[in-house]
Amino acid sequence: MDLLDKYKKTWNNQPEEAHKLSKVEIYKMAHSKSTSIVKWIFIIGMLEFLTIIPFLFMETDTKHFEEMNILWLRKALDTISCAIVAFFVIKFYLNYKSISSLDNTKTLMDKIVKTRRTVRNYIFTGLSFFAIAILVMAFSSINNQFINETPIFKIGIIAIFIFIGAIFLGLFWLFYQLLYGILLKKLNKNYKELAKLDELN
Amino acid sequence: MQKDLESKFLSDFEKNQNIVHKICRMYTTDQHAHKDLFQEITIQLWKYYSKFRGDAKFSTWMYRVALNTAISLYRKSTRIVKTQDISSVAYKISSVDYDDTEELQLKQLYRAIHRLSDIEKALIFLYLEDKPYKEISETLGISSVNARVKMNRAKEKLKKILNP
Repeated sequence: MDLLDKYKKTWNNQPEEAHKLSKVEIYKMAHSKSTSIVKWIFIIGMLEFLTIIPFLFMETDTKHFEEMNILWLRKALDTISCAIVAFFVIKFYLNYKSISSLDNTKTLMDKIVKTRRTVRNYIFTGLSFFAIAILVMAFSSINNQFINETPIFKIGIIAIFIFIGAIFLGLFWLFYQLLYGILLKKLNKNYKELAKLDELN
Repeated sequence: MQKDLESKFLSDFEKNQNIVHKICRMYTTDQHAHKDLFQEITIQLWKYYSKFRGDAKFSTWMYRVALNTAISLYRKSTRIVKTQDISSVAYKISSVDYDDTEELQLKQLYRAIHRLSDIEKALIFLYLEDKPYKEISETLGISSVNARVKMNRAKEKLKKILNP
């Protein structure tokens, strides 16, 4: 460690910062707005909750459910949606509140990743509801508008619905990956590095 | 009460601010980013200051919050410093009595540190600050054994960069 010892001495002898901050400057900084990842996760998370809510409570297509005589399913889905949104919002908020820079680095990162996962699970739940709605619409169409068509035509209709739904979901997923990919690039890299260390021993 | 807490925080922080400057110098390569990171660390320190009970030294507590901010909370990633940027590395260090060779060595050291990963930087920083393994493992949340293993690797890597 000879070489590093020499540098360590240099390190210890390094002069104090030339541009020291005064108490007033520190005060101003302490009271400015944070731009930490955690804050961004909170803001984006809340936006995501708000974006999905109108989709969950869409009233326009109840006729599909009526036509198929499954209005009870629609009502059940509505109630479940309400409960799910409430559950995720509470969970997200509790996770967010538990994040503290007083924790050790690993725990802090665990909590940040967990908070993000809560929103991800929420989004996937929202998308599953969307997929169910698409399927209901597809089956409702072949049972009403296209009831006299050939089976191949009906399969084709379902395929088109699934295809459109998949494209929509795919784009949504891509956007989501990109958003968090950029935001958490650095954190994920550091998180993996610490996690890898645990696997080695 | 709040006023007392605030003025105590300001004087504690003012006295110990050099620790944060050193961390900013390690994790950023230009003055703007240095200020940005310094500000985020200050916000985090003040946010949790009321929870700091004085059972640890203020500086010890500061190491943890500052490193956490640099590693996990600060969003902008560091850029590997290019050779021509050496002058900007220890940009604000200036002292009449300061030895030229030492100044050059310090610049070399910072330049080498910039090429380490964020976690390695934290380890090397705690090593240079003479922190015991127990504190290092507690700060990062890894076992002492893992801290040792990773520290040795980081030191080897740093040595290779310093003396290729």
